[in-house]
Amino acid sequence: MLQIRNLHVSVAGKPILKGIDLDVGPGEVHAIMGPNGSGKSTLAQVLAGRSGYEVSQGSVRYLDRDLFLLPPEARARAGIFLAFQYPMEIPGVANAQFLRTALNSQHRARGEAEVDAFDFLEHVKGKLALLEMDDGFLYRSLNEGFSGGEKKRNEILQMLVLEPRLAILDETDSGLDIDALQVVARGVNAMRSPDRAIVLVTHYQRLLEHIVPDRVHVLAAGRIVRSGDRDLAMELEDKGYGWLNAGADFEEDRP
Amino acid sequence: MGNNDLQRHIDTPYRWGFVTEIEQETIPMGLDEGVIRRLSARKDEPDFMLDWRLEAYRHWLTMQEPDWATVSYPAIDYQAIHYFSAPKAGNQPRSLAEVDPKLLATYEKLGIPLNEREALAGVAVDAVFDSVSVATTFKDKLEALGIIFCPFSEAVRRHPDLVRLYLGSVVPHTDNFFAALNAAVFSDGTFVYVPKGVHCPMELSTYFRINARDTGQFERTLIIADEGSYVSYLEGCTAPQRDENQLHAAVVELIALKDARIKYATVQNWYPGDAEGRGGIYNFVTKRGDCRGDHSHISWTQVETGSAITWKYPSCILRGDNSVGEFYSVALTNHHQQADTGTKMIHIGRNSRSTIVSKGISAGRGRNAYRGLVKMLKGAEGARNHSQCDSLLMGPDCAAHTFPYIEVKNPTATVEHEATTSRIGDDQLFYLRSRGLTEEDAVNLIVNGFCKEVFKELPMEFAVEAQKLLAVSLEGAVG
Amino acid sequence: MNASLYTDALSHIAAPPWLTEARHEALDRFLAAGLPDSRQEAWKYTSLDRLGQVTLRPPEAESSQAVCPDVTAYPGHVLLFQDGQLACHGTYLSNQFAGTLRHWGDTRSVHEHLGRIAGSSALADLNLALWQDGARVYVPAGERLGMPIFAVYGAATAEAMLHPRTLAVVESGAEAVLVEHYLGQTDQTYWQNAVSEIVLAEGARLTHIVVVEEGPAASHTSLTALRLGRNSEYRALHIGLGGLLTRRDLLAALDGADAGIRIDAFDLADGRRHTDLHLRVSHRAPRSQSRITYRGLADDRARAIFDGHVVVEHGAHQTDARQDCKGLLLSRQAEIDAMPRLEIYADDVKCSHGASVGQPDPDALFYLRSRGLDAAAARRLLLEGFANEALGLLDDAHLRDWLMPRLLAALSRRSGEEVRS
Repeated sequence: MLQIRNLHVSVAGKPILKGIDLDVGPGEVHAIMGPNGSGKSTLAQVLAGRSGYEVSQGSVRYLDRDLFLLPPEARARAGIFLAFQYPMEIPGVANAQFLRTALNSQHRARGEAEVDAFDFLEHVKGKLALLEMDDGFLYRSLNEGFSGGEKKRNEILQMLVLEPRLAILDETDSGLDIDALQVVARGVNAMRSPDRAIVLVTHYQRLLEHIVPDRVHVLAAGRIVRSGDRDLAMELEDKGYGWLNAGADFEEDRP
Repeated sequence: MGNNDLQRHIDTPYRWGFVTEIEQETIPMGLDEGVIRRLSARKDEPDFMLDWRLEAYRHWLTMQEPDWATVSYPAIDYQAIHYFSAPKAGNQPRSLAEVDPKLLATYEKLGIPLNEREALAGVAVDAVFDSVSVATTFKDKLEALGIIFCPFSEAVRRHPDLVRLYLGSVVPHTDNFFAALNAAVFSDGTFVYVPKGVHCPMELSTYFRINARDTGQFERTLIIADEGSYVSYLEGCTAPQRDENQLHAAVVELIALKDARIKYATVQNWYPGDAEGRGGIYNFVTKRGDCRGDHSHISWTQVETGSAITWKYPSCILRGDNSVGEFYSVALTNHHQQADTGTKMIHIGRNSRSTIVSKGISAGRGRNAYRGLVKMLKGAEGARNHSQCDSLLMGPDCAAHTFPYIEVKNPTATVEHEATTSRIGDDQLFYLRSRGLTEEDAVNLIVNGFCKEVFKELPMEFAVEAQKLLAVSLEGAVG
Repeated sequence: MNASLYTDALSHIAAPPWLTEARHEALDRFLAAGLPDSRQEAWKYTSLDRLGQVTLRPPEAESSQAVCPDVTAYPGHVLLFQDGQLACHGTYLSNQFAGTLRHWGDTRSVHEHLGRIAGSSALADLNLALWQDGARVYVPAGERLGMPIFAVYGAATAEAMLHPRTLAVVESGAEAVLVEHYLGQTDQTYWQNAVSEIVLAEGARLTHIVVVEEGPAASHTSLTALRLGRNSEYRALHIGLGGLLTRRDLLAALDGADAGIRIDAFDLADGRRHTDLHLRVSHRAPRSQSRITYRGLADDRARAIFDGHVVVEHGAHQTDARQDCKGLLLSRQAEIDAMPRLEIYADDVKCSHGASVGQPDPDALFYLRSRGLDAAAARRLLLEGFANEALGLLDDAHLRDWLMPRLLAALSRRSGEEVRS
């Protein structure tokens, strides 16, 4: 589904990703772990198509298309979803209005029927319940004045509504208490299916207790330095990140 | 503590209100071309200076005194002012040893020792007494680095090319009524030139003292920071306590070339008048900095506690790409003081940035207005401004105004402005007093907290001085 | 200024005798003062020079039989004035509540308030001298009108000079919704110079919506002046969508304690339009509250100006005033100027204002695009959201259904492109 080959990315002339190779197949859940500044979030942003990231080498193919030829909305319509680490606050735009506009843009692009307001509400309300969110959320301005936890839930809600093929969750677990974490995990697990892939970007192993990954990759200083199964995450939990880089050119360049 | 107590009157003496008895040479009252010619001749000025003055004077005659500020005062009789007054004992002493001991004693008493051994470490001082500079310290040491720090009248004679090149290039004589008047009659002031790549190792400072009666002070400061240089400059001012108002109409021009940085700080403590509003200085000042080169940086910091009326808007023209302008201000008005002050940030260069932090404190019947313009011109691609204007209100009869003007002509520019008001609440004071603070300490604590963002921009010694000044100025506002 | 233009106009007005003297005095004051010019601080950003350069006249009486728009489109009681004369009249409400000034002029409420609330200024004086008709709304004590009253001021004649006048008196404890709709029906030059006076007695509540949709070559100047009694509440929504030059002034005096005022305003400046909105809210008694929200969009070669002035007078303790003003610039030739002012003469107050001017947030655009919206749709959604922040008063579904299509149609004209160069 997703093939990343020798991906090099820099920001304002500074190299951040220095040769990433990664294959994600349908039905798989991958976790990308690593310390702050290792390039995890950069990878997530580049896949979603944010500007300001210069791809200097390498390629990314998604469903046999060159991802870099597509603007952000075309990626979304092709089924890529990024749950933002810091979701934007957009005053004056109601959550429901936004979600329906987004859903129908995607339906239209795929030649599917648009959803009317009633069907839409029905569709959303089941998802809200799953995430223990009340209906009031739909009528508040998009993320405006939301707590950190509410913003993260709202990202998961969008994912459930938009039903992407490839979901990338950027540090969705950060700043969540254990209850909220379980709710979020429930949402993500509900999305697991044989034709959908999920990439979890996270600093901690904690999330992986609730969402069991098929593969775990450790990113450090812009490269994947280890890959393994979920035992790798356990190992990291025990030993921290330091042991990985004995002798490696490990840069702790926190933002 | 109720509002009645808050207004309790204590007659706080103005500590700097004494008069120095010294023989002065004064040009008789009144203003005409003859006075300007005499003044210019008295200072041995080259012809270009006299011509410039006369041009300004003729233009001034066509101008109207501005009336848009929220200040009010009786009409000024410009013929009832002495435009020049100087201590007699020769106003160009070649060294400190030649300076009249009475003058040295005056500055000593003001806390500005001019003797270099006793002087504040790391601060060079130009002392201006009425219309002339009477002493300049550390001149030679600075000269060794190529830095020119001298009285304006000396610069006119010794560095005419520099003066000619830059004088009036930031504040032309046509700029406004008071700037035109200043250009016609300015008597002295400070001139600074920092050469390419030089980081001025000490604070440069001018101390302005008005002494003579019925005399206006019209000084002019010109600071040029050449490419890649740095200078930090501070001015202070005081005047005797008199029942009549006196006019102070200064002009300050700053020029920062490519990669240069100028920090300009003012602690303004002119005589504010008494508790009933009698006397005090009219402080009508034009200050402007020109960030002429890319990556240049000018910051204005002012602590305005004195003067009966303050009318000043230290501004930045952000011409260079990536240039930076800053304005940090504390303005305090107590009793009947009036202040209309603020800044203009004119963004011309790409990615130019400006920050405005204005803290107004109004007590008694004081009137305090922030007036500021942020202008983003068409070419100011990606330029940014952030302004924060806060007012602290003390007592039911004070007034605090905020008048921002925002003009944006470039869609990629961003301007943000916020303003708040607060007062020193009884519950706040009670809380602090219940922890053992006296009322006055509690007020000072709150006021200093309110002004913290501005004080941190001042050089250390002066930050301490400014805090003390605020405390003294507020005595009688709270009890 | 051509004085005979105005004196001629006055001589052609059939005015009730009790007003004749006041009209002549007002005209004399106007002729002495002349049109406002840009040397006056309040007119710094707006020039009325173009009005002095054209010959404008009150339209002939017969021309007022022009197109009468479909009054059933308005969700309420309608008073439709066409080129200064009453043309159509809804019949839902008793005339006692909503009638014409011409018909109800000689009544106590009109005698008591007409011309007294607006005060004297060049344009208000001119209106006082030359008004021909307008809506008169009177809501007796305790009465609650469930249905909005629409005062529609249509302009269809080229080179017309119109001075519509509205007076609304809401007695104690009464409630009403008043909508003023200024509607251009010609592409030609004309000038509407409106004055609206509003009096809210103790505990009265008024929701006031003003929609300016003048023609593309029209000039629109207006003054809304209001007095708020104790514990009364005024909620207003001012929307500017049309007219080549619009200058609107709103003067509110919160005379009574505990009065509340909320003003939301949205201005859309596009093409070569020039919009200038001045608000002046004076807190004159203790514990009053004001909330001002302005949203302005400037595109193409247009210019949007906002001046919000909040005054807290001596003794107006515990005033709570907030002002929030945002401008979005969509083109390199457009300009936004904002002046959010505070003038405070009391210490026990809570006042703040915030202002910002910039372009649509690129991060927000990316966020929306990452959810599948194309650039144009993302932009439109952002602009709608921006406008929405000033539309909180449209809680009535009928009003919303009437107004939103107009607003969205105007918005969609210009949201399709990136910032233009």
